[in-house]
Amino acid sequence: MIATAGPISSGHGPELTALRGSQPQTTIHNELMLQLHGVTTKYGAISALREVTLEVNAGEVVGLIGPNGAGKTTLLNTVAGLLQPSNGTVQLAGDDVTGTEPENLLRRGLALVPEHRRIFVDLTVEENLRIGGATVSGERRRELLDDMQQQFPVLRSKWTTRAGYLSGGEAQQLAIARALMAEPKLLMMDEPSLGLAPILVDMVFDLISSLRSNGVTLLVVEQNAQRMLDIADRAYVLRSGQVVSEGTGEELLGRSDLFESFVGGSA
Amino acid sequence: MIELAQNLIDGLGRGSIYALLALGVAVIFGVMHLLNFAHGEMITVSGYAAFWALGAGWSWTVVVPLILVVSVVTSLLIERLAFSRVRGAPDFTLLLTSFGVHFLVSALLLLYVSASVKNYSRPGWVADTWSLGSLRIEVFDTVVIVITIITLLATTALLQRTMFGLALRAAAADFDTARLMGVRSNSVIRGAFALSGLLAGIAGVFWLMRAGSTNPTAGIDPMLKGVLAALIGGLGSLRGAVLGGFALGLAEVLLRSWLPNSLASLTEGVVFALIALLFIFRPQGLISVTHAERV
Amino acid sequence: MFPNPGRDIGFSAVGAIGLFALLAGGGLLYQLIIGTGSAERLVTTMLIDAIIVIGIQIYVGNTGVLSFGHVGFGAIAGYSFALFAIPPEEKVKRIADAPWGLVDVSVNPWIAMLVATLITVAVAVVIGVGLARSGAESGAVAATVITLALLFVTHEVARNWPDVTGGDRAGLSFPIGGSLDSRVPIYVSLLAALLIARWYAQSRSGRLAVAAREDNLAARAMGVNPLVQQMAALLISVAIVSVGASLKVYEEGSILPDNFFFNYTLLTLVMLIVGGRNGVTGAVVGVMVMTAGRELTRRLGQDGYELFGLGLDDAPLDWIFRENLQMVFLGLAMLGFMIWRPAGLLDDREFDEWLQRKLGSRGAMTTDQPAPLPELTDIPHASLAVDDVDVRFGGFQALAGAGLEAASGEIVGLIGPNGAGKTTLVNVITGLVEPTAGTFKLDGSDVTVLAPFELARNGLVRTFQNLRLFGALTVRENVEVAAMIAQQHRAERTLRDADDLIAEAGLWDLRDRRARELDYGNSRRLELARAAALAPAFLLLDEPTSGMSDEESLAMVEQVRHMAATVGAGVLVIDHDLAFITGISDRIYVLDQGRIIANGSPTEVQADPAVQAAYLGSGTS
Repeated sequence: MIATAGPISSGHGPELTALRGSQPQTTIHNELMLQLHGVTTKYGAISALREVTLEVNAGEVVGLIGPNGAGKTTLLNTVAGLLQPSNGTVQLAGDDVTGTEPENLLRRGLALVPEHRRIFVDLTVEENLRIGGATVSGERRRELLDDMQQQFPVLRSKWTTRAGYLSGGEAQQLAIARALMAEPKLLMMDEPSLGLAPILVDMVFDLISSLRSNGVTLLVVEQNAQRMLDIADRAYVLRSGQVVSEGTGEELLGRSDLFESFVGGSA
Repeated sequence: MIELAQNLIDGLGRGSIYALLALGVAVIFGVMHLLNFAHGEMITVSGYAAFWALGAGWSWTVVVPLILVVSVVTSLLIERLAFSRVRGAPDFTLLLTSFGVHFLVSALLLLYVSASVKNYSRPGWVADTWSLGSLRIEVFDTVVIVITIITLLATTALLQRTMFGLALRAAAADFDTARLMGVRSNSVIRGAFALSGLLAGIAGVFWLMRAGSTNPTAGIDPMLKGVLAALIGGLGSLRGAVLGGFALGLAEVLLRSWLPNSLASLTEGVVFALIALLFIFRPQGLISVTHAERV
Repeated sequence: MFPNPGRDIGFSAVGAIGLFALLAGGGLLYQLIIGTGSAERLVTTMLIDAIIVIGIQIYVGNTGVLSFGHVGFGAIAGYSFALFAIPPEEKVKRIADAPWGLVDVSVNPWIAMLVATLITVAVAVVIGVGLARSGAESGAVAATVITLALLFVTHEVARNWPDVTGGDRAGLSFPIGGSLDSRVPIYVSLLAALLIARWYAQSRSGRLAVAAREDNLAARAMGVNPLVQQMAALLISVAIVSVGASLKVYEEGSILPDNFFFNYTLLTLVMLIVGGRNGVTGAVVGVMVMTAGRELTRRLGQDGYELFGLGLDDAPLDWIFRENLQMVFLGLAMLGFMIWRPAGLLDDREFDEWLQRKLGSRGAMTTDQPAPLPELTDIPHASLAVDDVDVRFGGFQALAGAGLEAASGEIVGLIGPNGAGKTTLVNVITGLVEPTAGTFKLDGSDVTVLAPFELARNGLVRTFQNLRLFGALTVRENVEVAAMIAQQHRAERTLRDADDLIAEAGLWDLRDRRARELDYGNSRRLELARAAALAPAFLLLDEPTSGMSDEESLAMVEQVRHMAATVGAGVLVIDHDLAFITGISDRIYVLDQGRIIANGSPTEVQADPAVQAAYLGSGTS
């Protein structure tokens, strides 16, 4: 599956809304992309995840929301292989990948845009993208670099700038583009809108929509729950390391107790 | 004036070798956070290889590539047998592991190879000089400086232009994120040790040509120069390491000519003392590694 | 009832004597069995090595900084001792040209030893300043390199200054028959070294140094200045090494540069790490194990199978058993322990502590659980004010005019979504980040630029989001460290006894457990008790419930409230959990995008639309 998202300026038009509204799960989401079963992850004595079970179908955009410290980042890092679960299994496209190293998971089609972006500040924009394409052939990498120049005009204009000099929005685009260089089947993003001005937040959500319409499966951790639920097919709410609710975006948006479950009300 | 120019050239020649050694130390520190006190062992081991090969009648033309190969293989073996088992351990453990490797290698050589100093013939041109006006320049220094410049350019190209170099730099900056990009930790670390071994090998060729002999603890001196130069430059900075190497070479040569005769033999001691002072007043080294602040 | 660093003095003395008996007795037994002159020399060497290794342990073990330089200090002491103790008629043969009339100097060897120790300690003061500066800036690696440079400087000077040192070949020697011929001074020094090492570890300075070793940041946040403690450890350590080195020279009758160089550094460090560098018992066991192992391998290398009386010709392993086999053994021991058991055989376990547990007594004060503590009624007034603080990192504005106030007796909450700047604000208040603009005042005086340890001494004490306990210390020791600091710097406040606070936190039954063995909830409670023991005017709690279940969080609310009341501290809680914050706080500040967007009572803040938007994100753009 090739991530040839259109220019990021294209907003989520009516055709995207139609896609989400009209396509029944059975036709487009017929394949399980990611499945977590009873996953528990600990930092020393702290259980950051407690028996989390969740699924992401191929082609879906799944949101992961919840308060700070709920375990959202831990969940993504566990799936990506940066952390080892003490219990439970992680399956990618039907294969058990629990405990697989991040470099090998990427080769199986799973990429993570990490929290705080973690771009390589001393490398240029181009070098960041090239390292993102470390797992594809040299020829394919050159094609993808051209693609990225098309899709991210901002990056093209800073092609040889050291990434440390990018603004927050540019850096976020670089982080996403870098992950796309590996042509992932499943792209996970950790707080892509964090620290961005509102207009850039729009840009990020537009980008997520256009990635979806190009067939990339997405699992996105997001602080901005409202915006996330607007575009997600489904979402899970995490609190204290556990899944406390799940549902479609609309369902969760309609839930009056969402704010409480977020900030720890007595719900 | 002539004397100063003479000293500068001597210092550059000496500093070139240190720069190569320091670069090797810095590469390893970058990916593993290991300050490698076993960096001289590549030279010790290849010194014995050179001794045997020359004794068997091989010419230096063959011995030079032999030294490079032995050096790279030794570096990779040490990684495989020792350092791969302490990846991610605290500094304390890493430092003592490399210290242990140094001792084990020299003890093994002492016991099972030879306790005595082994002399071999140096290439004839090592002692030759050529003149530029009233400057007398050693052919050896000239060769060292030229080869070092070529090596540094090639290394820069490797690091800047190849996927391996890119992976190495990315891993040095942020190992976990590099792995998320598909960089294999084993390959990048082994690659770093191979590169470090090659750089030590090139420095080793010069070192061994000039020394004309080897012994089980011959690696201490080059190791120390490499480690100190890397520290002077600022650990973690490859440019700093090269700079530190040249600075150390120049400092040694200039001090030796400036110190009164009665103290000339103490040059090394004075250099070490100056380095300790440098660390007291500028603990981060000449070039401090700063990254743009992450948001 | 306050923790008295000296209260274990009796036991540690017994422990030191026990270790002494082990070394001396083991040595004598070996001599008796073997009965040769070389066995006697081996034991003497072991006893002297033990003094030096114990000296090194005091620094390396308590501070956690690896030093290659102690053998260099040994060289300074050794040469100083030789220069003062060797009679002029002997010196004139080797160093007739020595400056400053050194040839004619001659004093009693014991005075020479004192002079050598003083000279070496003076050098250590200078080096110590360097270690402190570099350690503070760039961590342990730079400090280690300074020590390595010291080793090389001394070696180079010793080799290349023959006018004073006798140079590389000749060195300095006592006349025949002029060297040490009695073991008594060695025994006395060894016992003294053991006592000092154990006492130092239990002293105020030793405990603070160990706390900083376990967690430098947490120790500084509690008012410890690690540099001072590291200097103290260094000087004591160097003094003992100096005595040991002087004895080594006196006993061997001569000194050469290589006697105090790489090989001896390796030997002493291996001895230290094999037993366990963090304990005196470990150091002693390491010395014995390595002396035995080294002697065995040396003999094996020399005699091969003859050693076992097998007398085989052409035995299959002869190619391994060669002269100097002990060198391979030392290298393998260093490498093997680093790879498979970096903490050594015993880690930090101490003989006297084991003895104490066996005898089941920790003194009269410890058997009964203390009664609950009353809450303070008469709370001294204190205030905290953060005013208009800006923090910029590069191009990023983390805080833009944030401010808040708190007073003693109240609990103030600070919440905000991820990335709002909470951590930055905490770092400003705790002295880790200096603001670009704005001020921070404690009781009206400007403390914006104070270092973390100074803030703690002024009464602002924090806890950490990711738990920073002193893992190797017991629950009780964690709290005692804090109580010790309070005694010195917070004496004007009502100080609470460490044991009372431990009981108050519900940790009484776990008081002798190491902190790293505690589960999460107990770790949090210990952190709170430790902070309270500092008698703070303000407690700053950074996400005290992160990773806790709802029930645990509620219990924590009660705990925080009560603990603060028993020491009369105002509380500033930073958390993301609105239930926790509203349950505990009198007033709440809400931070978003570097600014305070709301402030008021819990109900007011909860109802504020700006707060809801900040937490859930706005639907519009």
